[in-house]
Amino acid sequence: MRFKFLILAAGIIILSLFPIFQTNTYYIHMVERILIYSILLFGLDIVVGYTGQVSLGHAGLFGVGAYTAGILYFKLGVPFLIILPIAVIVSCIFGALLALPALKVVGPYIAMVTLAFGTIIQILINEMTFLTEGPLGIIIKKPIIFGFQTKEIHYYWIVLAISVLSLVVINRILKSRLGRSFEALRDSPVACDCMGVSVYKYKVYAFIISAGFAGLAGSLYAYSEQYISPNTYVFELTVLFLLAIIMGGRKTRLGAIIGAAIVITLPQLLGDVKLFRIVATALAFVVVAGSALLISRQMSTVRKVSIPVIGTVGLMIFSYFIKNISDWRLSIFGFMILLVVYYLQDGIVGFVNNFYMRIFSSKKSARDQIDVGNFDKDDAIISAKNSSAPDQLLNLKSVLMQFGGLKALHDVDLIVKRGTIHGLIGPNGSGKSTLINVLTGIYVPTAGTVEFSGASIVGKVSSKIALSGIARTFQNVQLFNEMTAIENIMVGLNHTYKSNLFEIALNLPRFKREELAAKQRAYGLLKFVGLEEFANEEARNLTYGKQRLLEIARALALDPNLLLLDEPAAGLTAPDIKELLLIIKKIKEKGITIILIEHHMEVVMAVSDVVSVLDFGQKIAEGKPKEIQNNPKVIEAYLGAQTT
Amino acid sequence: MDIFVQLIYSGVALGMIYAVVAFGYQLTFSTSATLNFGQGEALMLGSMVGLTLSNLGINYWLIIPLVCVFGFLQGTVVEYLGVRPAIKIKSEFGWIMSTIALGIIFRNFAENIWGRSTFRFPGPFEDDPIKLFGANILPMEILVVLGAVSMMLLVEIFNRKSIYGKAVVATANDRDAAGLMGINTGLVITFSYALSSLTASFAGVLISPLTLAGSGAGGALGLKAFAVAIVGGLSSGLGIVVGGIILGVSETLTGFYISTGYKDVPSLIILLIVLSFKPAGLFGKTTIKKV
Amino acid sequence: MLIIKDLESGYGKVNVLKKINIEVPKNKVVTLIGANGAGKTTTLRTITGMIKLTSGHITLNGKSIDNFPSYKVACLGLAHSPEGRRVFPSLTVFDNLQLGAFPRLTGSRPRGDFKGDIDRAMELFPKLKERRNQLAGTLSGGEQQMLAMARAIMLNPDIILLDEPSMGLAPILVEEVFKIIARLKAAGTTMLLVEQFAVGALNIADYAYVLENGRISMHGPASKLKNDPAIKAAYLGGH
Repeated sequence: MRFKFLILAAGIIILSLFPIFQTNTYYIHMVERILIYSILLFGLDIVVGYTGQVSLGHAGLFGVGAYTAGILYFKLGVPFLIILPIAVIVSCIFGALLALPALKVVGPYIAMVTLAFGTIIQILINEMTFLTEGPLGIIIKKPIIFGFQTKEIHYYWIVLAISVLSLVVINRILKSRLGRSFEALRDSPVACDCMGVSVYKYKVYAFIISAGFAGLAGSLYAYSEQYISPNTYVFELTVLFLLAIIMGGRKTRLGAIIGAAIVITLPQLLGDVKLFRIVATALAFVVVAGSALLISRQMSTVRKVSIPVIGTVGLMIFSYFIKNISDWRLSIFGFMILLVVYYLQDGIVGFVNNFYMRIFSSKKSARDQIDVGNFDKDDAIISAKNSSAPDQLLNLKSVLMQFGGLKALHDVDLIVKRGTIHGLIGPNGSGKSTLINVLTGIYVPTAGTVEFSGASIVGKVSSKIALSGIARTFQNVQLFNEMTAIENIMVGLNHTYKSNLFEIALNLPRFKREELAAKQRAYGLLKFVGLEEFANEEARNLTYGKQRLLEIARALALDPNLLLLDEPAAGLTAPDIKELLLIIKKIKEKGITIILIEHHMEVVMAVSDVVSVLDFGQKIAEGKPKEIQNNPKVIEAYLGAQTT
Repeated sequence: MDIFVQLIYSGVALGMIYAVVAFGYQLTFSTSATLNFGQGEALMLGSMVGLTLSNLGINYWLIIPLVCVFGFLQGTVVEYLGVRPAIKIKSEFGWIMSTIALGIIFRNFAENIWGRSTFRFPGPFEDDPIKLFGANILPMEILVVLGAVSMMLLVEIFNRKSIYGKAVVATANDRDAAGLMGINTGLVITFSYALSSLTASFAGVLISPLTLAGSGAGGALGLKAFAVAIVGGLSSGLGIVVGGIILGVSETLTGFYISTGYKDVPSLIILLIVLSFKPAGLFGKTTIKKV
Repeated sequence: MLIIKDLESGYGKVNVLKKINIEVPKNKVVTLIGANGAGKTTTLRTITGMIKLTSGHITLNGKSIDNFPSYKVACLGLAHSPEGRRVFPSLTVFDNLQLGAFPRLTGSRPRGDFKGDIDRAMELFPKLKERRNQLAGTLSGGEQQMLAMARAIMLNPDIILLDEPSMGLAPILVEEVFKIIARLKAAGTTMLLVEQFAVGALNIADYAYVLENGRISMHGPASKLKNDPAIKAAYLGGH
């Protein structure tokens, strides 16, 4: 932390002194552009790196910012300091507009939607000449601030100050619950919704925040270039931004800055063919030699290295054929994208980090460790609210769930009494998990009613149902894999926060207080399931059994009235199962009602108050564990007819 | 009124081209859940290669199969360089970025080989229009519609009748299970890309005599064809034909009655609206994802 | 026929299977039983190359098939009827059967009597005959299971892997499925049967392995395991 701070401080000092020693405005302007691009990339990284979506619309948002500034300046003569916030707000609005169609869909659709959005913006800029002057463009003078006409060097300092500010703000946002939610929705959208963190809502937030930074960068860009015209904000610019992000390294601010520096300086560096030939030749030699080394040490195969070898050698040969490099600029960028996407996936920063870790074989997680004080584990779980609601916590009446011709649930009635453990058994495919998915809003039942605490939950979205007090675990573990154990739980604690974006950005006391409280509770919950020593371990590195326990702890973070455990004992060893039984009993003591789906009969029978049996989507029996074990229908369907 | 009907005719012809390119999206999406973001460039390359062949004095009817072969190879290259590595590491970001990158590279090469200007592509017919229901229609427009429809039918028949076509459908249904049947699903995916680029470059040769051929034609076209694929649904054959016609007609009408500058806007707006309210497309089935 | 030696595999960094040894001799039926999440399906998926093995060896007919892609394993004569049936819903019953014989029809395996085999498969599963031209997606669960098994047989395989053929079926259908397995066994088919319905599996198999948390906890002749008190308690529902 201290180390990072020192580097940041040193960086700021060097950058602020830079124009004093280097008086050539060309270079000052270049660094200024790197800073402006960095601001945009900080924002783009939220979408690309954190939420894991591909946005091809950021050139459009950048253009919105630039043209908001340009139009306000040109048509109305609005001063700089007022233009900036307006440009940010306008871009945020456009970001929200983009989010509306983009976020109902996933993956390639988002890419295409954002591309369509960017294209529309470009067309509008071109065609709405009454506002944008069309292809002619708009000329903008450097701002006058409080009557003082700024020059290149002053404006440079302004940009530097704003980019440092952006860096600080974005860092705070990404370290807060917002950043955690963004990462969580990428790792497992389903789990995210079931933790009360609405995937849709947080994706919209991510796009809006991202758009705000793009707009800020755009307006700064307008003043920096002093001229804006439509052919800047094209598809190629978007691709350039993406190249910068992945080449620098996702999910790091340093990566964004490095990426910006590369995409800005590269065209200059490759300005003459001779230099390009030298670079291409050197690259080819390095790749060929490296591949030969890898093959000789049997760390790779000829097949694996063939593509990069052919690619780089081809590039070298190609470089001797071309005469004018600027004509081939886009091909070179395309080539770099291919290279980076497949051979430098973690970007330069990630590569260096990995390299560093391998060299020093340091096992330290790249993530910031969270320090926690001592916290009593028994206070971590909040007892269920014993409201005046009826004794029947959950009441299902003739629920039907139909997929095509298949009735996964057929006329199921189920009453779960408050404070009990309700076992749910049945053969594979009998509809148990479907029932859980109906209860958590992942499926909407075809017919029937579901009442929880006296209110219907049919048709409510998962996140709402989760916040109303139903928490769950998943049959196939759905953790937020790239986040640490404690962060996983803190996503579940998202509902305990009241602070808003501004409090987060300004690091105000309420936010700090809530963050500390959440950390302590999360640690307490980890202790409760016995995982406190793994608090800072990434979830994907935990063993299967521990992952299951972590899911339970995360579910408890929701302060649920009803906890749905979907095969918690699957894949657990015998001692683990004993531990699990203790945990389940303790949860019950807190007054939390549990529905337990399990194949391990000894688990179900040991803790359940009532057991229901599903078969073929229908409830075939219900009663005390003893009764169920002796019920002939159950024995035939599930336990096996021949057993005695 | 005449001009209106005429606009409808050319809109339909244009729409069928979008439908063919959208059909290409469907092919790859069904087998591998991936798309070629450079699909428009495949069309552009098809028309430019066709133009070069035409300048060499080769007959239009002979150009078509030659360009199809070229398209087939181009699609194979895209799959091999751009998609295969991404599927291996299960990176969605990977194939999106690499097909975009390949698209940019193809376009840049085309710009350097053929320049940035647009060229007239000589068609097989005279430009004398035929009267149909009181309005003019070009013979080429009829060829476009017929050609597009027969290309789609041909591929459909192949998929329904031959054992290899069934292997393609099986891969689209369930890739793992297809592998268990002894089907080399990797090869099927390569093949679907080759077929997809083949249809796109075929479309390029069909449409170029009506519009113009040029290295910059790809980008917007690929996007609009995607809009068609979305409006029609990524799984519906009828959907893309209807979608193509809706978008093609809306484009020619906008171009004539409002301004050519805005002609791409309605397609894109329709795309955004459909995705906002019915992401599976007008004809697509909404699938429920299992958890 | 099929020999699995010290097999380890899993998803991501976590190994699900730990040093598994299984042997399926020719003309025998071997079953692999165990609770959900024990690693049964993972074992089968590793054999047919859907999951990468991290260590150990798998040999089929004396030939190593470590990390072979699924299609190559199939072409070598191993049919895998996967968990959840996985028929091709948008193809007809006949097309599904035809694809089961894909390597035979495309020259990767001897063609044999394809037409006769189709007829025999339809005979073994009379329901499929009635539904010959119906789309597989419209079949009931039981019929889909029949189709999945028939499709596996169409390969003319040396060995069949059956993954939970009874899953999600009504008791009466389960009985039918096991009857068919018994008929295949009588015809000398080599099978590796993965089942959660342990009673049925143990009744039909020659030899059995019990998988627990990714390890083979017990193995022996099926008739012996059936009467083992520990097995009874854990898998046969007794207490």
